Amino acid sequence: MKDKLSVMMLSWEYPPRVIGGISPHIYFLSKNLVKQDVNVYVITCDFPGAPAHEVIDGVEVYRVDSYQNPSPDFATWVYLMNMNMQKETAALARKIADKIDVFHAHDWLVANAGIGLKHVFRKPLLVTMHSTEMGRRDGLHNTTERMIHETEAWLTYEAWKVICCSDYMISHVKYAFGLPTDKLVMVPNGVNTHSYENINVDYESFRSKFALPEEKIVLFVGRLVYEKGIHVLINAVPKILSKVNAKFIIVGSGYMKEQLLNIVRSMGLEHKVLFEGFMEEATLLQLQKSADVSVVPSLFEPFGIVALEAMAAQSPVVASDTGGLSEIIEHDVTGVKVYPNNPDSLAWGITKVLLDESYAKNLRENAYKRVLEKYDWEKIALQTKHIYEGVLGEYSKSFWA
Amino acid sequence: MRAIIFSWEYPPRVVGQLSGYVSALSTQLANKKVDVNVVTYDDSATGQTQEPSGVKTFRVANPVRNHIGVLTWVLTLNQEVERAAANIYYETNKQVDLIDVFDWHFIPAAVTIKNGLGIPFIYSVESLEDHRSPNANASYNMAIKSIEWLGFYEAARIAVKSEWMKEEVTRIYKAPKEKIAVISSDPSLTVKDVLKSYSKVAEANKHER
Repeated sequence: MKDKLSVMMLSWEYPPRVIGGISPHIYFLSKNLVKQDVNVYVITCDFPGAPAHEVIDGVEVYRVDSYQNPSPDFATWVYLMNMNMQKETAALARKIADKIDVFHAHDWLVANAGIGLKHVFRKPLLVTMHSTEMGRRDGLHNTTERMIHETEAWLTYEAWKVICCSDYMISHVKYAFGLPTDKLVMVPNGVNTHSYENINVDYESFRSKFALPEEKIVLFVGRLVYEKGIHVLINAVPKILSKVNAKFIIVGSGYMKEQLLNIVRSMGLEHKVLFEGFMEEATLLQLQKSADVSVVPSLFEPFGIVALEAMAAQSPVVASDTGGLSEIIEHDVTGVKVYPNNPDSLAWGITKVLLDESYAKNLRENAYKRVLEKYDWEKIALQTKHIYEGVLGEYSKSFWA
Repeated sequence: MRAIIFSWEYPPRVVGQLSGYVSALSTQLANKKVDVNVVTYDDSATGQTQEPSGVKTFRVANPVRNHIGVLTWVLTLNQEVERAAANIYYETNKQVDLIDVFDWHFIPAAVTIKNGLGIPFIYSVESLEDHRSPNANASYNMAIKSIEWLGFYEAARIAVKSEWMKEEVTRIYKAPKEKIAVISSDPSLTVKDVLKSYSKVAEANKHER
């Protein structure tokens, strides 16, 4: 083996292209792998204004043509984008002096590219399954969903190791694709506490942009899609307002936005629920720090990075007791767990945090301590490096080596 | 000379006239001492196959059964085509001179193999999307055309069957004329023209390496 390990990381999102949780995951994992003396090449989709090649914190970032023509639908676009990603990555891997040791793909969105590159270069492929189609849709209901599910199954079949970010996802992925246990490894997602440390907010004036002085701030951050349970929070709003005066700030967008706006309008609560859409990071970090409570009402959540971010920002968390959230939150210690898909339970949890200041203070402190202990990116990167080394050890005895 | 032929139809799978053409050509090439490896789709519905002597066939199945359209079907099948081609490459001690790809279906695999392993490819044109679906500019047709564009751009050489098609490829896809070879449709001359094309591409690539 060479003295320095080289990995090519494939992801459809990387900052400034941020669609979901994969983007920050790749960003922090990559730069911390560099700190562990690993050469990291991130191959990702292009983004307006972002250069085709740059070095960020020692990470070589390449942005490929993501197929800009109109596509018949999202899934077809994914396969077309993979065609381009694969072509450009193949050319790059051939061109650079550094020999790539492993390909690391993230989700089905880069399945085809990862699988193709594995065979073309005969190098091991690893995959991190951040989510599954079965989980996102709560079952498989049509051809598109079955196609995506099969693509995920194919990707995990081709991968040497399948990494999941929670014990919940390990068991889910094992069941969904019928994988052997020894192929699965749990590595938690991390959160970067540093990004919240250097924020000097003029608290009062920042807060006044969003809420009246007498209003508590209830924050939701996430895509406005079914699985995130935002509709559960909207349904809980009147129940909460009957007990405590608050402003609900919804950050993110998604296909449910119009529908949710209509519900809020019909309840006559437009002045209490703000839809902020996509928010730039600096403002979001301040908002997370200023929130009196952060709510994660997901119905399906493979990991729940938003909860970790809130904990790092020292905002008390109320989350539904499901998936990865169940593992992150210890009830009454690092946050409040409520019944999933239950507006009454959610309203109860939020109200409890907003009305009991010493309880909220306890949650903040414990949660922050837990984040530092368990979800540190440096530790996570080291664990990941050890997985690469283990795979390369096995690979060295194979006929591909 | 070792060549890999990519064709989405090959006997017993007969969709159009491409199947018979590729089959006859590959046998003739094998007779001319070319090591011919055909990579094609494993269509279990068409049953057992009798392989012509001298031609090696590699049939790959689609790893995903449910598809929403021809595009997703083709694009996932391409990964298996790549796998088959890469296996031939590594098992022959990396001695593959070129890939001859028939029509757009397996262009993505040919392009990746070219960029990753440095094996040049010839794009052999049977028909064009612009003729199959005249004036169709739906995103579905545009995607197929964009794959054809990619093929013409990345190909070391383009093989067509008539002067008319040469004009069309130049007119629609702006491919340089000197890159296009017209292969005779007279069966007794076809293999000679193809071999000439193969030698040209293989020689040029040797110099490049």
